[in-house]
Amino acid sequence: MVSGMSTPEMTAGLHLIGEQATRAAAKAKVQAAKSISIEDVSVSYALERSARRCVLENISLEIEEGEFVVLLGETGCGKSTLLRMLLGQERPTAGQISVAGSRVERVDARSGYVPQRYSLFPDRSVLDNLMMGPLTSKFHILGRLRPSYWEARRAVKAEAFRQITHMGLQASDAGKYPYQLSGGMQQRVAIAQALMMKNRVLLMDEAFSALDPSTRSSLQRLLRSVWSETRPTVVFVTHNTAEALFLGTRLIVLARESKDDACGSRVTLDMKLAEGGMTLRTHGQEFLDLVEHVEAVSCGQRLTAPGERRTASDAWGEELGRVEPVRVSPEDGVRQ
Amino acid sequence: MTNLSPFDIQARPNRLLAQALSCVLFVVCIGLYMHTSVERHKENAEDRVVPSGHQLVAGIRSAVLEPAEEDDYIPAESASTWERLRHSMIWKDTASSGGRFFISLALLIPFVVLAVHIGLFPWFGAGFLRFFLFFDKIVALSLLPILFIAFGIDQWSKIALIVIGVAPTMILDVTQMVKAVPQEQIVKAFTLDANNFDVAYRVVFRQVLPQVINSLRLNLKPMMLFLFAGEMIAASDGLAYRIAIMRRHMGMDVILPYVLWVALLLFLIDFSLRVINRRLHPWFQA
Amino acid sequence: MQSKRLGTFSLLCSLALLVGFSDAATASAQAPTFTVGWSVYAGWNPYFYMQKSGILKKWADKYGIAIKVQRFDYAASLDSFVAKNIDACAMTNMEALDMPAAAGVDSTAIIVGDYSNGNDAVLVRDNLTFQTLPSKPVMLVQKTVSEYLLERGMVLNGQQAQLGKLHLINTSDSDIVAAFLNNKSNEAVVTWKPLVSQIVADKSVHSIFDSSKIPGEIMDLMVVRSEVLNTPNGQKFARALTGAWYETIQQVAAGQANALKYSAAASGDSVESYKEQLKTTALFVSPKSAVDFTDGPEVQQKMDLVRLFCFKHGLLGQGIHSVDDVAIAYPNGTVQGNKARVRLRFNSAYMQAAEQGKL
Ligand SMILES: Nc1ncnc2c1ncn2[C@@H]1O[C@H](COP(=O)(O)OP(=O)(O)OP(=O)(O)O)[C@@H](O)[C@H]1O
Ligand SMILES: [Mg+2]
Repeated sequence: MVSGMSTPEMTAGLHLIGEQATRAAAKAKVQAAKSISIEDVSVSYALERSARRCVLENISLEIEEGEFVVLLGETGCGKSTLLRMLLGQERPTAGQISVAGSRVERVDARSGYVPQRYSLFPDRSVLDNLMMGPLTSKFHILGRLRPSYWEARRAVKAEAFRQITHMGLQASDAGKYPYQLSGGMQQRVAIAQALMMKNRVLLMDEAFSALDPSTRSSLQRLLRSVWSETRPTVVFVTHNTAEALFLGTRLIVLARESKDDACGSRVTLDMKLAEGGMTLRTHGQEFLDLVEHVEAVSCGQRLTAPGERRTASDAWGEELGRVEPVRVSPEDGVRQ
Repeated sequence: MTNLSPFDIQARPNRLLAQALSCVLFVVCIGLYMHTSVERHKENAEDRVVPSGHQLVAGIRSAVLEPAEEDDYIPAESASTWERLRHSMIWKDTASSGGRFFISLALLIPFVVLAVHIGLFPWFGAGFLRFFLFFDKIVALSLLPILFIAFGIDQWSKIALIVIGVAPTMILDVTQMVKAVPQEQIVKAFTLDANNFDVAYRVVFRQVLPQVINSLRLNLKPMMLFLFAGEMIAASDGLAYRIAIMRRHMGMDVILPYVLWVALLLFLIDFSLRVINRRLHPWFQA
Repeated sequence: MQSKRLGTFSLLCSLALLVGFSDAATASAQAPTFTVGWSVYAGWNPYFYMQKSGILKKWADKYGIAIKVQRFDYAASLDSFVAKNIDACAMTNMEALDMPAAAGVDSTAIIVGDYSNGNDAVLVRDNLTFQTLPSKPVMLVQKTVSEYLLERGMVLNGQQAQLGKLHLINTSDSDIVAAFLNNKSNEAVVTWKPLVSQIVADKSVHSIFDSSKIPGEIMDLMVVRSEVLNTPNGQKFARALTGAWYETIQQVAAGQANALKYSAAASGDSVESYKEQLKTTALFVSPKSAVDFTDGPEVQQKMDLVRLFCFKHGLLGQGIHSVDDVAIAYPNGTVQGNKARVRLRFNSAYMQAAEQGKL
């Protein structure tokens, strides 16, 4: 078991938690700051004739500092809605949300954001897009008239160029406008733009959905490596289960029990994933089974009880004989 | 063989032919004009309704080289052509109409800024949007007597007429543009620690500016229409003033060059705005 | 296939054209029709009554023709007359000279209906006089009898030298009352009745000059295109129109209730207001008075003043380099200007026929 962990395949694979490791981890988690906490959040929209459409129903989630959460679910299940709430773009109908230690009331700079479309400012070059965040946070509108602006600008510019090369772009791309970039390059810049702010929370809504498979996988690798460097908290919305399994350290599936308007989505699967990312190549049949399971859950064919939290191999643990089931109690969120 | 059918959407006319075709209607118009002119002059050698080439040339000469009737005469011998041009009727009228036009253009700027606020800030929207929706439907010309009381009959009533006529439409138009800016952009700007004014001016305004300029280009003609209406109702100089005066004795030989001159000026303003737009906003597609 | 379709299209077009032409043709085959244009003015409003009362139809029937009467805006009526869309038109002597005549449309005045005897006035605020006028803006419809009146006022008050210093603001007659009254900084205005009456209702405004000081210089004429008059049907038209006019105007002058009511209604005035306007209109009620005026020497003197004014202000057009190039012929055979270029004729023959009861 322990020797298994030392092989690269194993470290990159499922999270294997022994009795001791679990306890140590539990202690650490209690001390770790909660990066995002969602308490009993419900969201519903008014339809015509006083009817209401309930989108999210009693969602409670605690996300810890440095977790990479992937949010999965059928279209229309409310993933983007949840993200909007986290951003502060909208307020939940009931319940409350805090990010980085305080309640979310309005959109502000505590979290970075990478949307699927319109992620860059079309009227600014790549360089200006990257510099915008750090510069505006120091110099608001007329503050740019101060002489110290130019000094700061020089510093930020150097940082921006570092990000550009870091993101695998050419320095010559710096002067280009977004419309001159391919979709993949645009998303690289968008991620860099958010990283420039050095936020501890990063919210991404289907950021890679419009990309071709090879660009997508290279961006996935990029995101993973960027994440492992500074370990921000990431909430990543996607439709793609394989992507989710590769990127995340925690997988959350939202699904509705029925198509009724009064019935909103709940968390139907909340599962811890292996840190190194899980792919078909690394995990073969196990990976395929997991994909099948997640997809069945997200389209409501198989339901796990709300609030239940598992590791990836919970359902397959016996067959594989390598993983112990892990459950989270609703009160303290501590693994037993 | 090229496909010459006019009702074929997929036709590919060759360049030369297409160019030639684009001139046809101009040629037809000029031809029709000349034909009518010649016919009318056969019947009445002094016809003024459709002036002949000679009459037009004389009209243009007097408009371009001779001072307006109300000004001092400049003898042709003692003055250079440039000096005569400087004191000519068309110069004087263009300068005074142009002044009014550009002042009103400048006065539209605060309204565009207001429109950005209306589209972006909910409280501004609540306060102004409905009012301008209503105000836009008011026919500005019918307010003239009120404008006379408020602004006198000089310059400012004409400028007010233009601004009142065009500003509400511009405001509604710009408000629409601002609302069409994707929410993602605004949210993103806030996550980059922008404050409200950064978002308004450095994100949204910058993005809609090329569209605003395009909207302005479309509004040039209404502006000119309002200016003409104002100048025809009460003025002592200006392009439309001259046209109104010339109409009193059917001076079509001066009116026609004036009309073409105004068209040319508008075209040039439009063209330069287009060029400026392209230069200033290389990122703006379409 | 393509060409066949095009063929059908052009066939349809030419059919439509044919139908259009034959329509026009059948219309003109009926009784010869003439059109008279007029616009709102105390001396012309009776044309409205003339048509409504059936007097015009009676006279037209007598000569076996049809006469249509059409009300226009003044400027539009002149445009139509010059463009030869109408055959006769009511206008002042000044416009007769600078519009049709100067545009080469040979015209004949067959009825001299009246002259303005106080209808047009120079109005000022405060105690402005002709001496102090040149420094102030003056609102008026430029290049019309208003400007003529103002200049005559200046000349008769010894201010000829100051003429060039006048600051004129061309103001549309539809807005002149509101524009003048609503702003105290406007100090002078030249206009005509009933606008004059509306303005002097403001007690701070008074008249310093009006057309009664230049009697006979602003005449109101019925002008017919000479080429129409030179056809037999055209002469019938002139006779019918003259006959109808004198029958009408005598009823108006006699104060017949309907005549006044319709004439006042023509300009949307009350009968009272219309009567007031008539007081300052010197109507030639009897054909004899009109003939005497037209045949007399005075007309030529007055027309001379008017034509010089028109020439000085370029109203005769760019191409006219001498005032004599738009010549005027009078009933006694004299010609003012170049004999080869007679463009405006005064013809008293029809008024004489009316006088002698030969219509
Ligand atoms: N403003 C609104 N008014 C009414 N209903 C809304 C509104 N916004 C979202 N919804 C509803 O909420 C549901 C969730 O929308 P949301 O965009 O969050 O879905 P999603 O999970 O992001 O879907 P996708 O994967 O297709 O992006 C949808 O059914 C939608 O109809
Ligand atoms: Mg979505």
